[in-house]
Amino acid sequence: MELFSNSTFRVLERGLDGSQLRQRAISDNIANAGTPNYQAKKVSFKHTLNEAMGTNLEANKTNAKHIDFSTTNTGTKVYTNPHTTYNHNGNNVDIDHEMSELAKNQIYYNALIDRMNGRFQSLQTVIRGGN
Amino acid sequence: MTLFSGFNASASALTTQRLRMDVISSNMANAETTRARMVDGEWTPYRRKMVVVEPNQKQPFSAFLGNAMKQKSEAGTGVKASAIVEDQNPFKLLYDPTHPDANEDGYVEMPNVDPLREMVDLMTATRSYEANVTSLNATKNMLMKALEIGR
Repeated sequence: MELFSNSTFRVLERGLDGSQLRQRAISDNIANAGTPNYQAKKVSFKHTLNEAMGTNLEANKTNAKHIDFSTTNTGTKVYTNPHTTYNHNGNNVDIDHEMSELAKNQIYYNALIDRMNGRFQSLQTVIRGGN
Repeated sequence: MTLFSGFNASASALTTQRLRMDVISSNMANAETTRARMVDGEWTPYRRKMVVVEPNQKQPFSAFLGNAMKQKSEAGTGVKASAIVEDQNPFKLLYDPTHPDANEDGYVEMPNVDPLREMVDLMTATRSYEANVTSLNATKNMLMKALEIGR
């Protein structure tokens, strides 16, 4: 039985990775809120998460000691939208949007961490035999 | 991209906004300075200074490594002040024949600093600074929360 490498942990880890990347993008957008010709960055990973989960590339194992490929690739994408503008200097950072995204992303991240802790808690309960 | 790149992006913005505030302070302080620089044996007034800001395109080693390992993460690395330039608008002329720097017609060249404009710029810089402090705190809280995993 897989204790730590089951899908719950993997999904949570990828969620955390994506959330962290999104945090970087938002920090960058807020840092460049007044920079001329800066295009706001967006991170999309929810769409690609399921695809990434579905297409597992299996390593060809000829020995029991061989290990699987690492699953660090999160399938996240950073993209910019060059077709909008909010200021006359070519900048399209919507600061209100970025601040709300920041709050949202934090709550999402905390929720994922809580879920992960809950998972570890239940494992601990099992290990202690219900005591 | 390292663990702290979110911090670095926000920190670079804090530095930049603080530089903007410093330059604005300098402009305000010198709003009446008529002897800022000696040009051809004559004093010229203070010229308003502005900060040029651009996205930080510096590629750290980790970015090259990440590209080579096909682990692209394109979130940038913050902002930087690339230059401080002088406003080339003409100086304001003030009629004051008793002023030591007045010309033959009695006019004094005053700096091209508009205090109102400087105040608006100062408020923009302050608000931007606050926004970046918020995002820095958010990143910090996330990392602190990550340390609680499995506790």
